[in-house]
Amino acid sequence: MGFKRIAYVTMVMAHKDLLDFWKAKMLVVAFTLFPIVMMAIFGYMFPSITSANPYAGKFSSPYGRLPIAIVNEDGGRAGEEIADRFAQLASSTGLFEVRDFASLEAAKERMTEGKLKGVLVIPQGFTESLSSGRQAILTIIVDDTNPQAASSIFGQASSLVRIISEGVAASRISGLGAGADPMALLEPIGLERRPFVRGSATTFQFLAPGFMALTVTLGTLSGLAATISREKEQGTLDGIMVSPVPRYTVVVSKVLAQTVRGMIQSFIILAVSMLFFGVRVYGSPLLMVLTMFLAVLSFSGIGIIITAISGEQETAMTSLMLINMPMTFLSNVVFPIEQLPWWLQVVGKSLPLYYSADALRKIIVLNAQIHHIAPDLIVLALYSLLTLSAAIPIFVRSVSR
Amino acid sequence: MAVEAFGLTKRFGNFTAVDHVDLSIREGEIFGLLGPNGAGKTTLVRMLTTLMRPTEGTAKVGGYDILREPDEVRKAIGLVAEKLILYPRLNAVENLMFFGRLYGMEGEELRRKVDELIEMVRLEGFKDFPIGGYSSGMRQRLNIVRALLHDPRILFLDEPTAMLDPQSIRFVRDLIKDLRKGGRTIILTTHIMEEAEELSDRVGIIDHGRILVVDTPEGLKSKLGVSNLLEVFLELTGRDLRDRAENRIPIRAVGRM
Repeated sequence: MGFKRIAYVTMVMAHKDLLDFWKAKMLVVAFTLFPIVMMAIFGYMFPSITSANPYAGKFSSPYGRLPIAIVNEDGGRAGEEIADRFAQLASSTGLFEVRDFASLEAAKERMTEGKLKGVLVIPQGFTESLSSGRQAILTIIVDDTNPQAASSIFGQASSLVRIISEGVAASRISGLGAGADPMALLEPIGLERRPFVRGSATTFQFLAPGFMALTVTLGTLSGLAATISREKEQGTLDGIMVSPVPRYTVVVSKVLAQTVRGMIQSFIILAVSMLFFGVRVYGSPLLMVLTMFLAVLSFSGIGIIITAISGEQETAMTSLMLINMPMTFLSNVVFPIEQLPWWLQVVGKSLPLYYSADALRKIIVLNAQIHHIAPDLIVLALYSLLTLSAAIPIFVRSVSR
Repeated sequence: MAVEAFGLTKRFGNFTAVDHVDLSIREGEIFGLLGPNGAGKTTLVRMLTTLMRPTEGTAKVGGYDILREPDEVRKAIGLVAEKLILYPRLNAVENLMFFGRLYGMEGEELRRKVDELIEMVRLEGFKDFPIGGYSSGMRQRLNIVRALLHDPRILFLDEPTAMLDPQSIRFVRDLIKDLRKGGRTIILTTHIMEEAEELSDRVGIIDHGRILVVDTPEGLKSKLGVSNLLEVFLELTGRDLRDRAENRIPIRAVGRM
């Protein structure tokens, strides 16, 4: 059988798969909505302070408008001033929504109900300490039920207090006269962050490429498992197997159809990220397409092997969950891989998603050229080659037992 | 010979579904393969149609060896399996065009063949609807002509009238009689005895994976001195229900069947 005929029947089968997909209108709707919903959720979960905000450089990944209370137990003038200044800064940066509370007890009560995320206490004697030249201490009590949120709240509150504190110090130093630079006295050595990436790299800019890779991967795995086991169960696979087409073209055509679907989905993600969440692509779209193609290919073999071994749809889907969940969290998509202990990093780096996410991120954020991401692409290509060359005989065996 | 099996055997674990079957089916005949549920009919058909590898033995179908020349076998045969070989979301034309292309048919030739087959089973008025919306009878009619796209010399029909209403059964049986015109060989599995008696030139009765007897329906009746094929069948395969413990198939094998 000539190459032309093989290519032709492969295309015919891939076309049939896509036609079959297109005819399931509800499936098409869900398929289109999934990436939009996913990006919308993460876009709002990790909001970015717009560069127009004067405090833009001071915060990395802020949680917006968290409800916190200020309890002023001090009663002095400075206490009042600090409370007002904090509330004003909180609203202008959009970090907190501040409410006044008369007593700490009442505020703690609300926090237990989950209505408050933190309580800033201006303790008794605050004005006195401040005016007598000692360090005046503010206290913050944070809802510790979510440690990550808690540390962000603390970080955000510290930043605000620092801005206020610097203001107070500056006015004191200038009160000493002699034209001294207050910042030079206060912080003899400063550290300024200059972005490596043009514009400001928001958390979302980090997340969007990862989610593109993740969506393509999850879509490929579940899509392959669903279409192969459905054809097996409904009996149509027999119709293909009893016709004179090489067995492996069935596998190749399924991968092809899934690739098309995966690429469509990832471009929806990219469009949503760019239009609504300010993500910018600095690199080459052509390189993105190539990476995405390899991303799909690298997982196709795994998807086919799992489906072939599972035999039917529910088992296949459940087995896939075994890979999907760890992969999502270990592959540097949601959480930076540096957070993980070394052995989990090894697991993460042994999954192809790590490399496709990495390459896409470098293309989108850093305008990486092909030589920058060549290692990633080579790993993906090797992965594809190895898993697919194992998957084809396993698939053929599983359908002709 | 259209089909010749030599010691064809299929085992799933300890269970032997087909046990050293030797069988000859002549060119141009309608051969009824009869047997109770679980006798091994479907497994035998799946091996003969290259969908399943035998554990032992081999067979020639259309003159080609099923193990050494599977593609030649595939070109020569058509299969109407127990399950429908049709995509429920696609319409009749899309379904037939797809399978036609797998057989290397293209363009005007394919288009004409598809229209001709749809007309043959009187589905012209429904050809643009997804077949998921068809009645069982309509689906089965289309399912049968799906196997005829490439004009196969040998046609396998695995229980083609199961689950159909009397009108559809009549239509399908008449269709099968038509299909033998031009010398086509038809292998029909069924456990409906009147169907086998009406259609078959010869029948083979299979039970526990073994062919018990092959003869014409008349030959069998006179040999056993009974008036119909049902009595022949019960005489040979027993009158008890089949669900005995030793007939169970290991669960891991079920998914492969």
